[in-house]
Amino acid sequence: MSFLSFQQVAFTYPGWPPVVRDIDWNIEQGEFHCLVGRSGCGKTTALKLAAGLLRPNEGRIALHGKDVLAPGPELGFVFQSPTLLEWHKVLDNVLLPVSLQHRPGSQEVDKARQLLAQLGLESHAGHYPRQLSGGQQSRVALARALILEPSLLLMDEPFAALDAITREELQDDLLHMCRSRGTTVLFVTHDIAEAVYLADRVAVMHRGQIVRDIRVDIPKPRTTSTRYSAAFNARCAQVREAMDNAPASERLAA
Amino acid sequence: MKPTPTRIRVASVLLLAVLLLVWEWAARGFGLSSLVLPAPSVIAKALWNGLASGYFWPHIRSTGSELLAGLAIGCLLGFGSGVAMAESQVLRGLLMPYVVTSQVVPKLALMPLFIVWFGFGMTSTVVITALICFFPLMENTLTGLQQVDPQRLELFRMLGATRRQTLLRLKLPSGLPSILAGLRIAVVLALVGAVVGEFIGANRGLGALVIASQGTMDTPLMFAVLVLISALGMLIYHATLAIEKWLLLPYTKLS
Repeated sequence: MSFLSFQQVAFTYPGWPPVVRDIDWNIEQGEFHCLVGRSGCGKTTALKLAAGLLRPNEGRIALHGKDVLAPGPELGFVFQSPTLLEWHKVLDNVLLPVSLQHRPGSQEVDKARQLLAQLGLESHAGHYPRQLSGGQQSRVALARALILEPSLLLMDEPFAALDAITREELQDDLLHMCRSRGTTVLFVTHDIAEAVYLADRVAVMHRGQIVRDIRVDIPKPRTTSTRYSAAFNARCAQVREAMDNAPASERLAA
Repeated sequence: MKPTPTRIRVASVLLLAVLLLVWEWAARGFGLSSLVLPAPSVIAKALWNGLASGYFWPHIRSTGSELLAGLAIGCLLGFGSGVAMAESQVLRGLLMPYVVTSQVVPKLALMPLFIVWFGFGMTSTVVITALICFFPLMENTLTGLQQVDPQRLELFRMLGATRRQTLLRLKLPSGLPSILAGLRIAVVLALVGAVVGEFIGANRGLGALVIASQGTMDTPLMFAVLVLISALGMLIYHATLAIEKWLLLPYTKLS
Protein backbone atom coordinates (compact mmCIF):
# COMPACT_ATOMS: atom_id res chain seq x y z
CA MET A 1 0.00 0.00 0.00
CA SER A 2 1.41 3.37 -1.02
CA PHE A 3 1.69 6.30 1.34
CA LEU A 4 -0.30 8.60 -0.94
CA SER A 5 -2.10 7.29 -3.99
CA PHE A 6 -4.12 8.90 -6.75
CA GLN A 7 -6.43 6.38 -8.42
CA GLN A 8 -8.07 7.40 -11.70
CA VAL A 9 -8.59 10.88 -10.33
CA ALA A 10 -10.51 13.48 -12.35
CA PHE A 11 -11.64 16.97 -11.39
CA THR A 12 -13.89 19.37 -13.29
CA TYR A 13 -15.43 22.70 -12.47
CA PRO A 14 -19.09 22.46 -13.56
CA GLY A 15 -19.51 23.54 -17.19
CA TRP A 16 -15.79 23.42 -18.03
CA PRO A 17 -13.53 20.77 -19.56
CA PRO A 18 -11.76 18.64 -16.96
CA VAL A 19 -8.86 20.38 -15.20
CA VAL A 20 -7.33 17.09 -14.18
CA ARG A 21 -8.09 13.59 -15.50
CA ASP A 22 -6.92 10.00 -15.41
CA ILE A 23 -4.34 10.63 -12.74
CA ASP A 24 -2.75 7.52 -11.32
CA TRP A 25 0.20 8.19 -9.08
CA ASN A 26 1.74 6.62 -6.02
CA ILE A 27 4.13 8.15 -3.55
CA GLU A 28 5.97 5.98 -1.05
CA GLN A 29 6.78 7.07 2.48
CA GLY A 30 9.71 9.48 2.67
CA GLU A 31 9.90 10.09 -1.08
CA PHE A 32 10.17 13.50 -2.71
CA HIS A 33 8.08 13.87 -5.85
CA CYS A 34 7.83 16.86 -8.18
CA LEU A 35 4.98 17.71 -10.50
CA VAL A 36 6.16 19.82 -13.43
CA GLY A 37 4.25 21.34 -16.29
CA ARG A 38 3.40 24.57 -18.01
CA SER A 39 1.10 27.13 -16.43
CA GLY A 40 -2.49 25.98 -16.46
CA CYS A 41 -1.72 22.28 -16.89
CA GLY A 42 -3.60 21.39 -13.73
CA LYS A 43 -0.67 20.78 -11.39
CA THR A 44 -1.92 23.13 -8.67
CA THR A 45 -5.36 21.51 -8.89
CA ALA A 46 -3.75 18.08 -8.46
CA LEU A 47 -2.00 19.38 -5.34
CA LYS A 48 -5.20 20.85 -3.90
CA LEU A 49 -6.91 17.51 -4.49
CA ALA A 50 -4.17 15.80 -2.50
CA ALA A 51 -4.64 18.38 0.25
CA GLY A 52 -8.38 17.78 0.44
CA LEU A 53 -9.04 21.44 -0.45
CA LEU A 54 -10.86 20.10 -3.53
CA ARG A 55 -12.75 16.81 -3.85
CA PRO A 56 -12.26 14.70 -6.98
CA ASN A 57 -15.28 14.15 -9.23
CA GLU A 58 -14.00 10.70 -10.15
CA GLY A 59 -11.56 8.27 -8.64
CA ARG A 60 -10.09 8.44 -5.16
CA ILE A 61 -7.09 9.80 -3.34
CA ALA A 62 -5.88 7.85 -0.36
CA LEU A 63 -3.41 8.72 2.36
CA HIS A 64 -2.30 5.65 4.35
CA GLY A 65 -5.08 3.80 2.47
CA LYS A 66 -7.77 6.15 3.77
CA ASP A 67 -9.65 8.63 1.59
CA VAL A 68 -8.57 12.26 1.85
CA LEU A 69 -11.85 13.99 2.67
CA ALA A 70 -10.77 17.19 4.32
CA PRO A 71 -7.51 18.94 5.20
CA GLY A 72 -5.97 17.76 8.46
CA PRO A 73 -2.93 18.14 10.68
CA GLU A 74 -1.07 15.26 8.99
CA LEU A 75 -0.71 17.59 5.99
CA GLY A 76 1.51 20.61 5.67
CA PHE A 77 0.85 23.01 2.81
CA VAL A 78 3.10 25.75 1.46
CA PHE A 79 1.53 28.23 -0.95
CA GLN A 80 2.96 30.16 -3.90
CA SER A 81 3.31 33.26 -1.75
CA PRO A 82 4.45 32.97 1.86
CA THR A 83 0.91 33.93 3.09
CA LEU A 84 2.26 35.10 6.44
CA LEU A 85 -0.06 37.15 8.64
CA GLU A 86 1.62 40.55 8.68
CA TRP A 87 0.00 41.56 11.99
CA HIS A 88 1.69 38.66 13.81
CA LYS A 89 5.36 38.43 14.66
CA VAL A 90 7.42 35.71 12.98
CA LEU A 91 7.26 33.39 15.97
CA ASP A 92 3.45 33.71 16.19
CA ASN A 93 3.22 33.04 12.46
CA VAL A 94 5.13 29.79 12.89
CA LEU A 95 2.87 28.87 15.82
CA LEU A 96 -0.35 29.68 13.92
CA PRO A 97 -1.28 26.02 13.26
CA VAL A 98 -0.92 25.37 17.00
CA SER A 99 -2.63 28.52 18.25
CA LEU A 100 -5.71 27.77 16.14
CA GLN A 101 -6.11 24.58 18.17
CA HIS A 102 -5.05 25.70 21.63
CA ARG A 103 -2.79 28.15 23.43
CA PRO A 104 0.80 27.17 22.52
CA GLY A 105 2.71 25.58 25.42
CA SER A 106 6.35 26.27 26.21
CA GLN A 107 7.34 23.04 24.48
CA GLU A 108 5.71 24.17 21.25
CA VAL A 109 7.28 27.61 21.51
CA ASP A 110 10.66 25.94 21.94
CA LYS A 111 10.00 23.80 18.90
CA ALA A 112 9.08 26.85 16.82
CA ARG A 113 12.29 28.59 17.92
CA GLN A 114 14.27 25.48 17.05
CA LEU A 115 12.72 25.35 13.57
CA LEU A 116 13.55 29.02 13.05
CA ALA A 117 17.09 28.37 14.23
CA GLN A 118 17.50 25.49 11.76
CA LEU A 119 16.44 27.87 9.01
CA GLY A 120 18.81 30.60 10.20
CA LEU A 121 16.07 32.90 11.45
CA GLU A 122 16.44 32.75 15.25
CA SER A 123 17.22 36.46 15.46
CA HIS A 124 14.06 37.34 13.52
CA ALA A 125 11.53 35.61 15.82
CA GLY A 126 10.34 38.96 17.20
CA HIS A 127 10.13 40.76 13.86
CA TYR A 128 7.08 41.32 11.71
CA PRO A 129 6.93 39.58 8.29
CA ARG A 130 7.20 42.92 6.45
CA GLN A 131 10.65 43.37 7.97
CA LEU A 132 11.95 40.19 6.31
CA SER A 133 13.25 39.58 2.80
CA GLY A 134 11.32 37.36 0.38
CA GLY A 135 13.60 34.38 1.03
CA GLN A 136 13.25 34.78 4.80
CA GLN A 137 9.47 34.95 4.48
CA SER A 138 9.51 31.70 2.47
CA ARG A 139 11.56 30.10 5.24
CA VAL A 140 9.03 31.21 7.85
CA ALA A 141 6.25 29.69 5.73
CA LEU A 142 8.22 26.44 5.63
CA ALA A 143 8.69 26.47 9.40
CA ARG A 144 4.96 27.06 9.84
CA ALA A 145 4.17 24.09 7.59
CA LEU A 146 6.51 21.86 9.63
CA ILE A 147 5.49 22.87 13.17
CA LEU A 148 2.85 20.13 13.48
CA GLU A 149 5.32 17.54 12.13
CA PRO A 150 3.16 16.57 9.15
CA SER A 151 3.94 13.27 7.48
CA LEU A 152 3.10 14.78 4.08
CA LEU A 153 4.20 18.18 2.85
CA LEU A 154 2.47 19.68 -0.19
CA MET A 155 4.18 22.62 -1.84
CA ASP A 156 2.84 24.82 -4.62
CA GLU A 157 5.72 26.63 -6.39
CA PRO A 158 6.86 28.05 -3.05
CA PHE A 159 10.14 29.48 -4.36
CA ALA A 160 8.93 30.78 -7.73
CA ALA A 161 9.21 34.45 -6.77
CA LEU A 162 12.76 34.25 -5.39
CA ASP A 163 16.06 35.04 -7.08
CA ALA A 164 18.13 32.08 -8.32
CA ILE A 165 20.68 31.92 -5.51
CA THR A 166 18.15 32.33 -2.69
CA ARG A 167 16.05 29.65 -4.35
CA GLU A 168 18.96 27.22 -4.40
CA GLU A 169 19.66 27.88 -0.71
CA LEU A 170 16.04 27.23 0.12
CA GLN A 171 16.02 24.02 -1.92
CA ASP A 172 18.95 22.75 0.14
CA ASP A 173 17.23 23.78 3.39
CA LEU A 174 14.05 22.04 2.31
CA LEU A 175 15.83 18.80 1.37
CA HIS A 176 17.69 18.84 4.68
CA MET A 177 14.58 19.52 6.80
CA CYS A 178 12.54 16.83 5.05
CA ARG A 179 15.26 14.19 5.07
CA SER A 180 15.92 14.60 8.77
CA ARG A 181 12.20 14.21 9.52
CA GLY A 182 11.39 11.54 6.94
CA THR A 183 8.71 13.83 5.50
CA THR A 184 7.07 12.80 2.24
CA VAL A 185 6.82 15.69 -0.20
CA LEU A 186 4.77 16.47 -3.28
CA PHE A 187 6.23 19.61 -4.83
CA VAL A 188 4.71 21.52 -7.74
CA THR A 189 6.98 23.65 -9.93
CA HIS A 190 7.42 24.84 -13.48
CA ASP A 191 11.19 24.99 -13.09
CA ILE A 192 12.80 21.89 -14.60
CA ALA A 193 16.15 22.23 -12.81
CA GLU A 194 14.37 22.71 -9.48
CA ALA A 195 12.30 19.57 -10.05
CA VAL A 196 15.29 17.43 -10.99
CA TYR A 197 17.43 18.74 -8.11
CA LEU A 198 14.79 18.06 -5.48
CA ALA A 199 12.98 14.96 -6.65
CA ASP A 200 13.25 11.23 -6.44
CA ARG A 201 10.61 11.12 -9.15
CA VAL A 202 9.30 13.75 -11.54
CA ALA A 203 5.80 13.62 -13.00
CA VAL A 204 5.36 15.71 -16.14
CA MET A 205 1.84 17.06 -16.51
CA HIS A 206 0.15 18.29 -19.64
CA ARG A 207 -3.47 19.32 -20.08
CA GLY A 208 -4.55 17.73 -16.84
CA GLN A 209 -2.81 14.42 -17.37
CA ILE A 210 0.47 12.96 -16.18
CA VAL A 211 2.28 12.24 -19.44
CA ARG A 212 5.68 11.08 -18.19
CA ASP A 213 7.17 9.49 -15.10
CA ILE A 214 10.88 10.16 -14.72
CA ARG A 215 12.94 8.62 -11.95
CA VAL A 216 15.87 10.77 -10.82
CA ASP A 217 18.56 8.38 -9.59
CA ILE A 218 21.22 11.00 -8.92
CA PRO A 219 22.81 10.12 -5.56
CA LYS A 220 21.99 12.11 -2.44
CA PRO A 221 22.77 14.37 -0.71
CA ARG A 222 22.85 16.64 -3.73
CA THR A 223 25.05 19.71 -3.68
CA THR A 224 25.80 22.70 -5.87
CA SER A 225 28.23 20.59 -7.91
CA THR A 226 25.33 18.24 -8.67
CA ARG A 227 23.73 21.06 -10.61
CA TYR A 228 26.62 21.10 -13.07
CA SER A 229 27.03 17.33 -13.45
CA ALA A 230 26.36 15.46 -16.67
CA ALA A 231 23.80 13.15 -15.06
CA PHE A 232 21.83 16.16 -13.78
CA ASN A 233 21.79 17.83 -17.16
CA ALA A 234 20.76 14.60 -18.84
CA ARG A 235 17.75 14.32 -16.50
CA CYS A 236 16.83 17.95 -17.12
CA ALA A 237 16.99 17.37 -20.87
CA GLN A 238 14.75 14.34 -20.44
CA VAL A 239 12.12 16.35 -18.54
CA ARG A 240 12.36 19.16 -21.07
CA GLU A 241 11.89 16.73 -23.94
CA ALA A 242 8.84 15.24 -22.20
CA MET A 243 7.33 18.71 -21.81
CA ASP A 244 8.02 19.62 -25.45
CA ASN A 245 6.65 16.41 -26.89
CA ALA A 246 3.68 16.17 -24.61
CA PRO A 247 1.15 17.80 -26.94
CA ALA A 248 1.75 15.18 -29.64
CA SER A 249 1.82 12.10 -27.48
CA GLU A 250 -0.71 12.89 -24.71
CA ARG A 251 -0.33 9.45 -23.27
CA LEU A 252 1.36 7.85 -20.34
CA ALA A 253 4.87 6.80 -21.33
CA ALA A 254 5.21 3.57 -19.51
CA MET B 1 17.67 76.30 -2.47
CA LYS B 2 16.44 72.73 -2.50
CA PRO B 3 12.84 72.25 -1.33
CA THR B 4 13.40 69.98 1.67
CA PRO B 5 10.36 68.90 3.74
CA THR B 6 11.29 71.29 6.56
CA ARG B 7 11.66 74.23 4.21
CA ILE B 8 8.31 73.46 2.58
CA ARG B 9 6.76 73.35 6.06
CA VAL B 10 8.23 76.70 6.99
CA ALA B 11 7.10 78.16 3.66
CA SER B 12 3.61 76.82 4.31
CA VAL B 13 3.45 78.65 7.66
CA LEU B 14 4.86 81.79 6.06
CA LEU B 15 2.17 81.60 3.39
CA LEU B 16 -0.49 81.66 6.11
CA ALA B 17 1.13 84.69 7.72
CA VAL B 18 1.28 86.50 4.38
CA LEU B 19 -2.35 85.72 3.60
CA LEU B 20 -3.45 86.96 7.03
CA LEU B 21 -1.42 90.15 6.61
CA VAL B 22 -2.90 90.82 3.17
CA TRP B 23 -6.36 90.18 4.58
CA GLU B 24 -5.72 92.52 7.51
CA TRP B 25 -4.35 95.21 5.22
CA ALA B 26 -7.24 94.86 2.74
CA ALA B 27 -9.89 94.95 5.47
CA ARG B 28 -8.45 98.15 6.93
CA GLY B 29 -7.26 99.80 3.74
CA PHE B 30 -10.53 99.44 1.86
CA GLY B 31 -12.48 100.27 4.99
CA LEU B 32 -14.62 97.16 4.68
CA SER B 33 -17.34 96.93 7.26
CA SER B 34 -16.60 94.18 9.74
CA LEU B 35 -20.16 93.06 9.02
CA VAL B 36 -18.94 91.86 5.59
CA LEU B 37 -15.33 90.89 6.14
CA PRO B 38 -13.84 91.49 9.59
CA ALA B 39 -10.06 91.82 9.80
CA PRO B 40 -8.15 88.87 11.31
CA SER B 41 -7.29 90.99 14.34
CA VAL B 42 -11.01 91.61 14.99
CA ILE B 43 -11.75 87.88 14.63
CA ALA B 44 -8.89 87.00 16.96
CA LYS B 45 -10.27 89.41 19.52
CA ALA B 46 -13.76 87.90 19.27
CA LEU B 47 -12.24 84.44 19.60
CA TRP B 48 -10.21 85.44 22.65
CA ASN B 49 -13.16 87.16 24.30
CA GLY B 50 -15.40 84.13 23.78
CA LEU B 51 -12.81 81.71 25.13
CA ALA B 52 -11.72 83.89 28.08
CA SER B 53 -15.24 84.73 29.17
CA GLY B 54 -16.21 81.06 29.00
CA TYR B 55 -18.96 81.82 26.51
CA PHE B 56 -17.73 79.28 23.95
CA TRP B 57 -17.03 76.36 26.25
CA PRO B 58 -20.56 74.95 26.74
CA HIS B 59 -21.04 75.12 22.96
CA ILE B 60 -17.74 73.34 22.28
CA ARG B 61 -18.65 70.70 24.85
CA SER B 62 -22.06 70.27 23.30
CA THR B 63 -20.78 69.87 19.73
CA GLY B 64 -17.90 67.70 20.92
CA SER B 65 -20.13 65.29 22.80
CA GLU B 66 -22.64 65.09 19.95
CA LEU B 67 -19.80 64.42 17.58
CA LEU B 68 -18.30 61.67 19.73
CA ALA B 69 -21.64 60.05 20.61
CA GLY B 70 -22.80 60.09 16.98
CA LEU B 71 -19.44 58.81 15.79
CA ALA B 72 -19.40 55.98 18.33
CA ILE B 73 -22.97 54.85 17.66
CA GLY B 74 -22.71 55.20 13.87
CA CYS B 75 -19.34 53.46 13.66
CA LEU B 76 -20.35 50.57 15.91
CA LEU B 77 -23.56 49.97 13.99
CA GLY B 78 -21.78 50.41 10.65
CA PHE B 79 -19.03 48.01 11.67
CA GLY B 80 -21.51 45.45 12.96
CA SER B 81 -23.64 45.57 9.83
CA GLY B 82 -20.55 45.40 7.64
CA VAL B 83 -19.40 42.23 9.41
CA ALA B 84 -22.88 40.70 9.29
CA MET B 85 -23.27 41.43 5.59
CA ALA B 86 -19.77 40.18 4.76
CA GLU B 87 -20.43 36.91 6.61
CA SER B 88 -23.94 36.20 5.35
CA GLN B 89 -24.62 36.09 1.65
CA VAL B 90 -28.37 36.02 2.33
CA LEU B 91 -28.22 39.18 4.41
CA ARG B 92 -26.05 40.86 1.79
CA GLY B 93 -28.46 40.04 -1.04
CA LEU B 94 -31.43 41.05 1.08
CA LEU B 95 -30.14 44.39 2.36
CA MET B 96 -27.75 45.64 -0.32
CA PRO B 97 -30.43 47.29 -2.52
CA TYR B 98 -31.76 49.21 0.50
CA VAL B 99 -28.30 50.22 1.59
CA VAL B 100 -27.51 51.58 -1.86
CA THR B 101 -30.83 53.45 -1.96
CA SER B 102 -30.37 55.00 1.46
CA GLN B 103 -26.82 55.98 0.45
CA VAL B 104 -28.09 58.31 -2.27
CA VAL B 105 -30.74 59.95 -0.06
CA PRO B 106 -29.14 63.18 1.23
CA LYS B 107 -29.04 62.38 4.94
CA LEU B 108 -29.03 66.00 6.07
CA ALA B 109 -32.39 66.46 4.34
CA LEU B 110 -33.80 64.09 6.96
CA MET B 111 -32.99 66.49 9.81
CA PRO B 112 -36.44 68.15 9.90
CA LEU B 113 -37.99 64.69 10.17
CA PHE B 114 -35.68 63.78 13.04
CA ILE B 115 -36.73 66.94 14.86
CA VAL B 116 -40.31 65.71 14.58
CA TRP B 117 -39.31 62.27 15.87
CA PHE B 118 -36.64 62.99 18.45
CA GLY B 119 -37.35 66.59 19.36
CA PHE B 120 -35.32 69.75 19.13
CA GLY B 121 -31.89 69.27 20.67
CA MET B 122 -29.07 66.88 21.19
CA THR B 123 -30.77 63.58 20.30
CA SER B 124 -31.64 64.65 16.75
CA THR B 125 -28.09 65.84 16.12
CA VAL B 126 -26.59 62.63 17.50
CA VAL B 127 -28.94 60.58 15.30
CA ILE B 128 -28.03 62.47 12.13
CA THR B 129 -24.31 62.25 12.96
CA ALA B 130 -24.59 58.51 13.59
CA LEU B 131 -26.49 58.02 10.35
CA ILE B 132 -23.80 59.84 8.39
CA CYS B 133 -21.00 57.83 10.03
CA PHE B 134 -22.78 54.54 9.47
CA PHE B 135 -22.23 54.22 5.73
CA PRO B 136 -18.48 54.70 5.31
CA LEU B 137 -17.83 52.27 8.15
CA MET B 138 -20.26 49.67 6.84
CA GLU B 139 -18.98 49.89 3.27
CA ASN B 140 -15.32 49.74 4.18
CA THR B 141 -15.85 46.90 6.64
CA LEU B 142 -17.77 44.95 4.00
CA THR B 143 -15.13 45.45 1.29
CA GLY B 144 -12.27 44.90 3.73
CA LEU B 145 -13.64 41.56 4.86
CA GLN B 146 -14.44 40.45 1.32
CA GLN B 147 -11.01 41.25 -0.05
CA VAL B 148 -9.15 38.68 2.01
CA ASP B 149 -6.48 36.90 -0.01
CA PRO B 150 -7.96 33.53 -1.14
CA GLN B 151 -4.68 31.74 -0.39
CA ARG B 152 -4.88 32.86 3.23
CA LEU B 153 -8.45 31.60 3.41
CA GLU B 154 -7.24 28.24 2.06
CA LEU B 155 -4.47 28.27 4.64
CA PHE B 156 -7.03 28.70 7.43
CA ARG B 157 -9.14 25.91 5.92
CA MET B 158 -6.07 23.66 5.78
CA LEU B 159 -5.41 24.40 9.44
CA GLY B 160 -8.95 23.47 10.38
CA ALA B 161 -9.90 26.96 11.60
CA THR B 162 -13.52 27.49 12.61
CA ARG B 163 -15.63 30.19 11.01
CA ARG B 164 -15.28 32.33 14.11
CA GLN B 165 -11.49 31.94 14.11
CA THR B 166 -11.33 32.80 10.42
CA LEU B 167 -13.32 35.96 11.10
CA LEU B 168 -11.46 37.06 14.22
CA ARG B 169 -7.95 35.96 13.35
CA LEU B 170 -7.86 36.44 9.59
CA LYS B 171 -10.62 38.54 8.10
CA LEU B 172 -10.80 41.34 10.67
CA PRO B 173 -7.03 41.84 10.94
CA SER B 174 -6.58 41.82 7.16
CA GLY B 175 -9.54 44.18 6.76
CA LEU B 176 -8.24 46.54 9.45
CA PRO B 177 -6.52 49.02 7.09
CA SER B 178 -9.71 49.37 5.07
CA ILE B 179 -11.89 49.65 8.20
CA LEU B 180 -9.66 52.38 9.61
CA ALA B 181 -9.78 54.26 6.29
CA GLY B 182 -13.58 54.15 6.67
CA LEU B 183 -13.24 55.55 10.18
CA ARG B 184 -11.18 58.44 8.86
CA ILE B 185 -13.91 59.31 6.34
CA ALA B 186 -16.57 58.94 9.05
CA VAL B 187 -14.76 61.36 11.39
CA VAL B 188 -14.73 64.14 8.79
CA LEU B 189 -18.36 63.55 7.86
CA ALA B 190 -19.37 63.39 11.53
CA LEU B 191 -18.30 66.99 12.10
CA VAL B 192 -20.34 68.13 9.10
CA GLY B 193 -23.28 66.14 10.45
CA ALA B 194 -23.04 67.57 13.94
CA VAL B 195 -22.62 71.21 12.87
CA VAL B 196 -25.27 71.18 10.15
CA GLY B 197 -27.56 69.25 12.48
CA GLU B 198 -27.20 72.06 15.00
CA PHE B 199 -28.01 74.65 12.33
CA ILE B 200 -31.59 73.54 12.36
CA GLY B 201 -32.05 71.24 15.28
CA ALA B 202 -30.45 72.81 18.35
CA ASN B 203 -30.01 75.99 20.34
CA ARG B 204 -26.67 74.92 21.74
CA GLY B 205 -23.43 73.95 20.03
CA LEU B 206 -21.13 75.58 17.52
CA GLY B 207 -23.57 75.13 14.64
CA ALA B 208 -26.31 76.86 16.61
CA LEU B 209 -23.83 79.61 17.43
CA VAL B 210 -23.13 80.21 13.73
CA ILE B 211 -26.87 80.65 13.12
CA ALA B 212 -27.21 82.87 16.21
CA SER B 213 -24.34 85.12 15.09
CA GLN B 214 -25.99 85.40 11.70
CA GLY B 215 -29.17 86.51 13.44
CA THR B 216 -27.36 89.23 15.42
CA MET B 217 -25.23 90.16 12.38
CA ASP B 218 -22.11 89.54 14.47
CA THR B 219 -19.81 88.45 11.64
CA PRO B 220 -16.58 88.47 13.73
CA LEU B 221 -18.25 86.01 16.12
CA MET B 222 -19.29 83.84 13.18
CA PHE B 223 -15.68 83.74 11.92
CA ALA B 224 -14.45 82.95 15.42
CA VAL B 225 -16.86 80.00 15.61
CA LEU B 226 -15.74 78.80 12.16
CA VAL B 227 -12.18 78.83 13.45
CA LEU B 228 -13.29 76.76 16.44
CA ILE B 229 -15.11 74.26 14.21
CA SER B 230 -12.03 73.89 12.02
CA ALA B 231 -9.84 73.41 15.08
CA LEU B 232 -12.19 70.75 16.42
CA GLY B 233 -12.10 69.00 13.03
CA MET B 234 -8.30 69.10 12.88
CA LEU B 235 -8.02 67.77 16.41
CA ILE B 236 -10.29 64.78 15.91
CA TYR B 237 -8.90 64.03 12.42
CA HIS B 238 -5.32 64.00 13.64
CA ALA B 239 -6.27 61.91 16.65
CA THR B 240 -7.79 59.37 14.25
CA LEU B 241 -4.68 59.44 12.08
CA ALA B 242 -2.51 58.80 15.13
CA ILE B 243 -4.65 55.85 16.22
CA GLU B 244 -4.57 54.47 12.69
CA LYS B 245 -0.82 54.80 12.43
CA TRP B 246 -0.36 53.09 15.77
CA LEU B 247 -2.70 50.19 14.98
CA LEU B 248 -1.18 49.62 11.55
CA LEU B 249 2.41 49.69 12.76
CA PRO B 250 3.01 45.95 12.10
CA TYR B 251 1.55 46.36 8.62
CA THR B 252 3.86 49.19 7.64
CA LYS B 253 7.00 48.78 9.74
CA LEU B 254 9.89 47.99 7.47
CA SER B 255 13.00 48.01 9.61
